[in-house]
Amino acid sequence: MKNRLRVLRAEREWSQADLAQRLEVSRQSVNAIETGKFDPSLPLAFKLARLFETTIEKIFSDEG
Amino acid sequence: MNCSTNNPAARRYMWRFSVTMLLYILFLVLAVWVFVHHHPTGPLAWLLALLPALAIIGQIAAFGMYLAEEKDEFQVALGVKSMLWGIGGTLAVTVVWGFLENFVHLRHLDLILVYPLFCILSGLAFGLLYMRYR
Repeated sequence: MKNRLRVLRAEREWSQADLAQRLEVSRQSVNAIETGKFDPSLPLAFKLARLFETTIEKIFSDEG
Repeated sequence: MNCSTNNPAARRYMWRFSVTMLLYILFLVLAVWVFVHHHPTGPLAWLLALLPALAIIGQIAAFGMYLAEEKDEFQVALGVKSMLWGIGGTLAVTVVWGFLENFVHLRHLDLILVYPLFCILSGLAFGLLYMRYR
């Protein structure tokens, strides 16, 4: 699944570790989600959406 | 498994793992010593033989507790995947060994070695998966 996490993170000048800390997960988890190797659960996707003040659909896309 | 010190579930797992490993070593040494020097029989022999196994069951339970307590779903997925590779690998090795043992009289594989084999294969799988998602 594609996502815009890297872009959203860059806009806020957050490192993967910063985002991981805010999500209360490991940096490795953020990297796996960001690179599309791991799809987060719905609760974690909602948490991401709340953190970036947007909707899940604007972060994740099932195209391609 | 994320072993960083700021992960409470991983910290608790490492603690439980260490305790059960220590108990395993103590029980094993105790059982071997008593069997060599006193040749116990009956219920005492059963109890001594089961003590190291109970420590190993505790170790398996500790990993189950870690999976239940870990809040990071990616780490849980990593742990479960490693365990599945470990289980699959152990089943594959033991079933192949079993047939070879029966048909071509390969040396007998002691069942006591199955758990260490599972640990080695799970550990290898965890290492490879960890590198993949690094």
